[in-house]
Amino acid sequence: MLIKRVVFQTEAVKLSSHLFCKLVLILLSGTFLQSCASYASHATSMRDGLLQGKPHLSLAIAEQKDPDQEEVISSLDKGMLRRINDDFSGSNQIFEVAKQEIEQLYGISITENLAALTINETLRGYQGDRYEQLLLHAFMAMNYIQLGQLDGARVEMLQANVKMMEWGDEPEEDAFLRYLEGIIYESLNELDSALISYRKAYTVYKEKGGYQYPAAPPGIKKDLLRLLAKQGLWSEYKSYKKEFNMIDGMVEHEPVKASKNMGELVVILNNGLAPIRTEAALPIYSTEVQQNLRVAFPVYRYPKRRLSTPRLFVNKKNYLMETVADVDALARYSLEQAMPGIMLRATARAVVKYNSQHSAQQSSDLAGLLMTITNLVTERADTRSWTTLPQEIQLKRILLPAGEHNVQIKMQNAAGQIIDVMGEQVTIYPGQSSFLIKHWAAPAAKKRQNE
Amino acid sequence: MKISIFKMNPLAVLFGLLLLLTGCSQTVTRVDSDTVTDLSGKWNDTDSRLVSQEMIQDVLSRGWLTKFNREQGKAPTVIVGTVRNLSHEHINTRTFIADMERELINSGEVEFVASAKEREEIRAEVKEQDLHATEETRKAMGQEIGADFMLQGSINTIVDAVSGEQARFYQIDLTLIQLGTNRKVWVGQKKIKKTIEKGGFRL
Repeated sequence: MLIKRVVFQTEAVKLSSHLFCKLVLILLSGTFLQSCASYASHATSMRDGLLQGKPHLSLAIAEQKDPDQEEVISSLDKGMLRRINDDFSGSNQIFEVAKQEIEQLYGISITENLAALTINETLRGYQGDRYEQLLLHAFMAMNYIQLGQLDGARVEMLQANVKMMEWGDEPEEDAFLRYLEGIIYESLNELDSALISYRKAYTVYKEKGGYQYPAAPPGIKKDLLRLLAKQGLWSEYKSYKKEFNMIDGMVEHEPVKASKNMGELVVILNNGLAPIRTEAALPIYSTEVQQNLRVAFPVYRYPKRRLSTPRLFVNKKNYLMETVADVDALARYSLEQAMPGIMLRATARAVVKYNSQHSAQQSSDLAGLLMTITNLVTERADTRSWTTLPQEIQLKRILLPAGEHNVQIKMQNAAGQIIDVMGEQVTIYPGQSSFLIKHWAAPAAKKRQNE
Repeated sequence: MKISIFKMNPLAVLFGLLLLLTGCSQTVTRVDSDTVTDLSGKWNDTDSRLVSQEMIQDVLSRGWLTKFNREQGKAPTVIVGTVRNLSHEHINTRTFIADMERELINSGEVEFVASAKEREEIRAEVKEQDLHATEETRKAMGQEIGADFMLQGSINTIVDAVSGEQARFYQIDLTLIQLGTNRKVWVGQKKIKKTIEKGGFRL
């Protein structure tokens, strides 16, 4: 009420339609800010449950947000948390909502960009960075796999394919997505398509490994050679083999010939949590107004966290899991790429804000002060990113004789201690792939309190 | 002075924000189920209907039917196998299989037997009857009619895309295979092509 009265008073002092509009604008924007300004703080409390081994608490927090299912970011978080809480069809349902919202946000929004240039970036519709949009398809595919619908998983891979095609000119291939695509094709016995996917995956690992992606895991090399041998493409087989031997000399890449009653176990572990963006503010000197102006922008304040190492045991035999996707690196790379644009818009915004303050100041001191405060308060960084993603995705494929197998993933911390064990009985069928997909961020909370 | 456009008329800014604020109120309009409603360009009921109509006309007008009638002196019995979705969309193949089944049965030229999934439930019921139903109403097992033909198929897509533009090509293949001999007696094919353009700007 106070602000309103002030508005009318200043109006009486000097009926400046210019100032009046600005104030109305800021009052209106206040309602926007309540919903999106604090994604980082919302995410922090949402992730707490995961970090305490109580994923149901995280889900409860996520489900309260955005009941109209309009925000892509909330739907992504809900989808991931439903997955983690073993609700795969519910997860796909909300992921599908997110997918459609992303589709709706296609194109450059005039009003949102205007708002981003006058108030702050959080008023732009969030459609996810490219890596997030692709991982959405990957996690939907995992849901379909866990629901036993491989054809559905295949559909997701094809959709991701169309997406990558649309981005076009500079191919935005994703190594993990291609690898997963290959595994899905292979388990559907579409070997020629699988081979193409493995080739593409390996190329991306080779070109971008060590930056956005981990270095090519030994698994992809074996898979590539195995399929080449199966298809009888021997000259290509030899050249790849030569290349692999040059890179890691001693490692044996000889493909194993599976007998008829062998099946495959595919273990996927979504390990840790993606980094979270926080707000930073800097004074930036603007040549236009010859002043230092304060701008807010998102940063990854904390360095990459050290993950617990998974030790995979199948029938008491120990296997090493391989990192196939480094979401942490993808996220940091993506922000790095977006940074010039963010800073450009931030500076432009600071100039607009400075000018509004300046013109308010000219009409009255109080108006100037109010404008300065509102401008300061509304200068918020866009900290939105899909923070329920894992930090890394790790994978291992093992050939096993058909039948029941006891699979255990023991999580080992930096000190070498086993801090958590996930176990499951997996049935292997001859000539088929069985999937075991897990999420891990912290040791599961002890259930003893309930007992 | 590049940035000076942002010092724009505040009325324009206000107008923009008001547009942002106006939520879309929901309206519902009933339309005939034959109306073409192309919203996103994805596979929809119209595609499903067009495919089933065309396929039925085709399958009923071909020589295999009269040939079978002449040789066996009865209407052929058909069973629906799987129609695999190999497209890039989550397509519900059941709607157009159901459409086809209905049209074919109603034509009187073809008989259908329950598919593998339906049979399970029916058999469970017959088994139940064996224990619980009275002698007169009890249905015996081993009285099912063996199908003469199986209908199988797939939906495939080819998508070509550049930013903002897509060409989608759907190809639906259905095959009628004679059980026992594995002879393909009919192959039906329907192609649908769509182009989709997305606007580069929105409000």
